[in-house]
Amino acid sequence: MTVPLDRPLDRPLDVLTVCGVGMGSSLMLKMTAEDALRALGVDARVECTDVSTARGMRPDVVIGQEMHTSELADLAPVVIAISDFLDKDGLQATLRDRLTARGWLA
Amino acid sequence: MTAVGYRDGVTAADWRTAIRESAAALVDLGVAGEGYPDACVAMVERHGPYIVLAPGLALVHARPEDGGLAVGVTVTRLASGVPFGHPDNDPVDLLLTFCTPDAEAHVGSLATLARALSDGLAERLRAASDGTELLTTLKEVFPDAQGGESGGQR
Repeated sequence: MTVPLDRPLDRPLDVLTVCGVGMGSSLMLKMTAEDALRALGVDARVECTDVSTARGMRPDVVIGQEMHTSELADLAPVVIAISDFLDKDGLQATLRDRLTARGWLA
Repeated sequence: MTAVGYRDGVTAADWRTAIRESAAALVDLGVAGEGYPDACVAMVERHGPYIVLAPGLALVHARPEDGGLAVGVTVTRLASGVPFGHPDNDPVDLLLTFCTPDAEAHVGSLATLARALSDGLAERLRAASDGTELLTTLKEVFPDAQGGESGGQR
């Protein structure tokens, strides 16, 4: 089965970081994600929220702990589970792979 | 202004005790109400151990309405690590605990904390020789830090 590539985005990438409450862990992850996306040269808007509020949103990318992203598998074209919210290099590598696979990163 | 404090060498039998101890440091600083520690425990009971956001490190907090009176951040170093039930990041030996009076007031402090953590803060806190150095290390993160008198060895 081939996965059709999306067209390159002509707008900033919409990224959502999630956690249980939306004011602590996801805020830390937002900072890490912004650093990683900046290093990749991706124009992105990163927001953080709780897992319940996230269900009503339609971002391009969702990032969170597996215990939360497993509930949000259909929310976005790219859903990334990471366990270390401070691992910028790891997140950067994952974002590079997943965004490239989507055709969102050359 | 960010109130800062610490607990060092805390002996905790389980994650609930560890969380209560770390949040009690905020109560001692006068930036959180008496009910805040239990609210922090309830947060994990309800939402799971996602607050263990890196190996060995938990970011403990409850909601502003649970007794957040001002912005405060405390560090708690455990005598030995305890499991929080996180699939990858257990056991936890370091807790950073915060409170905030509303949903916005803490954002700047947490952003500052995030930058410090990506710059090796957790390792520096783990390497601190005693409680005083633990507090000094945390104070260096927040230029507007005040407090710390309530810190102590346990």
